[in-house]
Amino acid sequence: MQYRTVKSIEEALSQAASAAGEQTKYLAGGTDLVVQIAEGAVYPAMLIDISGIQALRGMERTAEGLRIGAATTIAEILEAADGEAGESGVPECLVQGARSIGSPQIRRLATIGGNVCNASPCGDTLAPIIVLAGALSLRSGKGRREVPAEEFFLGPKATVLQPGEILEYILIPSSHLEGRCAFRMIGKRNAQVISQVNIAVWLKQAEPGAAIEDIRIAAGSVAPIPLRLRKAEELLRGSVPGEPLLQTAQRAVQEEIRPISDVRTSEEYRRSVTAALFRDALAGTLEA
Amino acid sequence: MSTENLRVVGRGIPKVDALELVTGRAKFAGDLKFPGMLYGYARRAGIPAGKIRSIDCSAALGLPGVSAVLTSEDIPGPNIIGILPPFDQPVLASQVVRYEGESLALAVADSREAAKRAAAAVRVTIDPLEPILDIDTALKPDSRRIHPDGNITFSKKLIKGDVEKGFAAAEVVVENTYHTSFQEHAYLEPETVVAVPGGDGRVTVYASCQSPFHIRGHIAANLNLPASRVKVVQAYTGGSFGGKDDVATEIGCLAAVAAVKLQKPVMIAHERGESIIGSNLRHAARIHYRTAGLKDGTILARQAKIYLDGGAYASESPFVTMKALIHAAGPYHVPNVLVECTAVYTNKTYSGAFRGFGVPQVTFASESQLDELAAELNMDPLQLRRNNGLQAGQATATGQVFEKSVGLLQTIDRIAERREQIPAAAPGEERWLYGRGYSCLFQGISNGAEGIDVVGASVQVSQDGSVLVGVGLTDMGQGSRTVFAQIAAEVLGVTVDRITVRQVDTDSVHDSGPTVASRSTTVGGMAVYKAAGEVKASLVKMASLMLKCGEEQVRLEENFAVLTDNPEVRIPLPEVATAAYWTGFPLMHLTFSRAPDAQFDHETHQGNIYIAYNFGTHLMDLRIDRLTGRVEVLRHLAAHDVGRAVNPLGVEGQVEGGALIGFGMAHLERIEHEGGCIQNANFSDYGVPSIKDRLPTETIIVEDHNPTGPYGAKGVGEPPVAGTAAVFANAVAAATGVRFTRLPIRREDILAALEEQ
Amino acid sequence: MLLEFELNGKQTRIEAEPTLRALDLIRDVLGLTGTKEGCGRGECGACTILVDGQPVNSCLLYAAKLQGRSVTTIEGLTTEDGSKELHPLQQAFVSEGAMQCGFCTPGMILSAKSLLDRNPDPDREAIEEALSGNLCRCTGYGKIVKAVQRAAAGGGGGAAADQPGGSG
Repeated sequence: MQYRTVKSIEEALSQAASAAGEQTKYLAGGTDLVVQIAEGAVYPAMLIDISGIQALRGMERTAEGLRIGAATTIAEILEAADGEAGESGVPECLVQGARSIGSPQIRRLATIGGNVCNASPCGDTLAPIIVLAGALSLRSGKGRREVPAEEFFLGPKATVLQPGEILEYILIPSSHLEGRCAFRMIGKRNAQVISQVNIAVWLKQAEPGAAIEDIRIAAGSVAPIPLRLRKAEELLRGSVPGEPLLQTAQRAVQEEIRPISDVRTSEEYRRSVTAALFRDALAGTLEA
Repeated sequence: MSTENLRVVGRGIPKVDALELVTGRAKFAGDLKFPGMLYGYARRAGIPAGKIRSIDCSAALGLPGVSAVLTSEDIPGPNIIGILPPFDQPVLASQVVRYEGESLALAVADSREAAKRAAAAVRVTIDPLEPILDIDTALKPDSRRIHPDGNITFSKKLIKGDVEKGFAAAEVVVENTYHTSFQEHAYLEPETVVAVPGGDGRVTVYASCQSPFHIRGHIAANLNLPASRVKVVQAYTGGSFGGKDDVATEIGCLAAVAAVKLQKPVMIAHERGESIIGSNLRHAARIHYRTAGLKDGTILARQAKIYLDGGAYASESPFVTMKALIHAAGPYHVPNVLVECTAVYTNKTYSGAFRGFGVPQVTFASESQLDELAAELNMDPLQLRRNNGLQAGQATATGQVFEKSVGLLQTIDRIAERREQIPAAAPGEERWLYGRGYSCLFQGISNGAEGIDVVGASVQVSQDGSVLVGVGLTDMGQGSRTVFAQIAAEVLGVTVDRITVRQVDTDSVHDSGPTVASRSTTVGGMAVYKAAGEVKASLVKMASLMLKCGEEQVRLEENFAVLTDNPEVRIPLPEVATAAYWTGFPLMHLTFSRAPDAQFDHETHQGNIYIAYNFGTHLMDLRIDRLTGRVEVLRHLAAHDVGRAVNPLGVEGQVEGGALIGFGMAHLERIEHEGGCIQNANFSDYGVPSIKDRLPTETIIVEDHNPTGPYGAKGVGEPPVAGTAAVFANAVAAATGVRFTRLPIRREDILAALEEQ
Repeated sequence: MLLEFELNGKQTRIEAEPTLRALDLIRDVLGLTGTKEGCGRGECGACTILVDGQPVNSCLLYAAKLQGRSVTTIEGLTTEDGSKELHPLQQAFVSEGAMQCGFCTPGMILSAKSLLDRNPDPDREAIEEALSGNLCRCTGYGKIVKAVQRAAAGGGGGAAADQPGGSG
């Protein structure tokens, strides 16, 4: 296995191009990839270490919104969020999702881009990015393209990334830095968990108690890809969220998800617990 | 033995090997390095049952770095291992695959990666057989025989009194069927051995293990060598809990065969997945139980039929069966008991020893029954236990009567004192369900029905007054080294810092059997006590000559020989020791301590089985989120009668650690099989408790002195597992109003049951 | 590749395959066996080392990523000559009985050290969070938390957690 450390996106792309025909993998934190290589699930001929590319790191507030470099580590995101003094920094649901990942050791190495590109349906940053209307900026030898997060995922561990294409950054548009959002998950135990279910909610109200102007809901581990829950959104969008409506929306969520039973838990549990997580997440966003 | 003015015994001193552990200097087997060392990696079957047609190593042998690929044909001896008769397990299988982890070949290469690649390159053809995956299928008369003699590994009964009469006289009967699941030991250090051929015709095997003598015997047999040519050294062992002995023997044999054949050191270090699949698990159990009582709460009779899923090989199933029989009726005075227990073969990873050894499974069932009975009678569950609790002078289910050290009621009293109010949901907290559970338990100390219980110990005093202690029992973290040092220090009047407890190796002490059954402190400690006593006699004799007084006037303390009547008159012990050497008094003693043999009828299990029992009572308060099934344990009290706490800090450590293992068994952990293959052989999908899952366990030490243990001590390694698993089930039942009869009771099980309500 | 990094306060230069695991570099090549392998998947924390003061799983870290970094292993906590001076955390672990088999201990102590270096007065939740990536099967964790609290309170050394015998 060849190993190339690169300092720029261009260098990364050209290294990938030079090894065309062989499997190459971009290595950022490695917390997923190193395990996959060790287990023989993937056997790349070349690893391109992109963790040192400055252009891929860091978060920046621009006119368009919040730009998060793909190789920004989960720990860096959390440190930025913890450092905020109530400013509009990293949205809450993304912070909570990031906090749920792995362990302190894992979060120190893992990157948000890695979490996204690994495309496990359990990935804890995926549902938050989707409800925040995140756009993924992809770079290749042919140039740049932008893909809405919810169109990025094709199936478990499968994305629209073309060979050699690299995720450069995630853009959370300014429109979705407003409003409130929340993320909830549950796993087998209280730490170092892979989500059995996770759910993110983003919504906007003109003022407390007012009708929901806009809402986005997405859940992970309940389908082959992180799932946008449009039916529940439709029920809630434009309405004042009273208890009967919330119950109807909760049922819609439970019906829309497509969980399976696997080694982590049963389909029944996923369906049941999603209701609780959805209500908790909503409670975290609605202003009374 | 004196129970006054103890200086060292009874103190919570730090472990004597603390420095090595906390600095990372302690060498575990995987840390050892020898020149020219090679690495072994096993090729495993990967399917649960089949007939082996061929094993072709030619491709593997051609890979770079590979020195050899062993098959069964390379084993000089009989190619048999196993803890107990029927010794039904091969080192390397050549004809039949009985579980997915069956080792078929061992690749030996200059790196673990090369060995792993070579193992993968071994070409194996196996004709699959329909695997037998459950107890009922295994027991069908026309089912395929996993072993030549059939699918029952072992089956025995315990018969006391007449249960039919008991049930006939009953005013109330509770009956239920309980299940427990396979549990994995999950010690942090996977199984590891290094075999090193000596230039002297001997081979030394360093092993992470509990039972070095057992391993020596099998290695010698499989190498076709006399046992005296094999030396097994216990390396620092990163946890075992009963889980390493089958495997340490298996990989010890493999590494030794390779090492002798290649005349090079060979290391085998399991990966975590191999460790879970390729080493024994806790028996899954099915227990049908009924209890007969009177309206006043007196238990008249208890009857249980137990099936244990023993997996592919016998391992410790016979002993687990016996222990389950003996403990099924609980720590109560019950005049009529009938227990039948049968261990069954299936095509899954074999079950064997795991801290508790059958007692956690039956205690869960028994204690659930107690609560069900209490509910029928509208009686306080703790009072029901107290009414029936065993007292000194009363007979256990095996008819054994202890006149001393039956501290059950004391543990109940100590829990009762601390009951306080059961926490309840505050207004606005309706999503939380609160509940409290109790459990009582006992666990036999010493090998008991499993055979002779002997331990060898050596104590040697040097001329500088320092002491070297050797014991045939192993410290795997439970702190036995420290306990032995404390006992030696107490007897010899030497401070602990002057005592070294040496590494266990099979050359230097008498065969002491396995370190199991919570016997280190009791039987091991007694051996140290005796050996130290012999050496003390020399020192006292010498000191009395030097002090010109009677021997009874000499006291040894704080590294001095002191004149009792006038303590200012004293001689430093190093001077006494030197003088004793030059005078010709022996300063080393090798002793052999034997616990009283169990004497019992093997068909009814009536008789005297253990030298003592540890008794305990647990209380647990918890709350459950009715919307997610999440459980928060708010309080956990564990009162244990340990006879005497030689090291209270160590006792707490054993209780806290054992409790979390019991909690894992009851709530978080379950090996998932599909088609006989384990699906969650990793630490993500098998939920070993993290620090955020820990219990707020508070240990309450009760000391009801045990005349058969040093300074009155009894072991406590295993009892907390049973107590915690049982109390959790009862607390959940109290909180939810639902009796869960299957362990683990996971969040999803709780949520499903609440939704059904 | 030629790796140059600081290891336990000393500049180190060594040739190594870039995809050699840092764990294997440390244990097999550099002979520092205090760092342990428990699972090889980043799921147990036994292989925890500090890189630039932060805990990471060395089983997931390729050696190439150590380039130019400052690495601390458990061996780095005691004085060079192996004398008895222990880090307050180590002393606290000893006094509180926070280790049994000791296999998880090096990783556990390094995670705790990183916490105390950042946050000298952590509450219990912060301690749990910092150690949430380190599994222990022997102790039940209670004494580990106590040991970290003790070290934070500045009481690393001193009198052992000596308790008189329990009552009968």
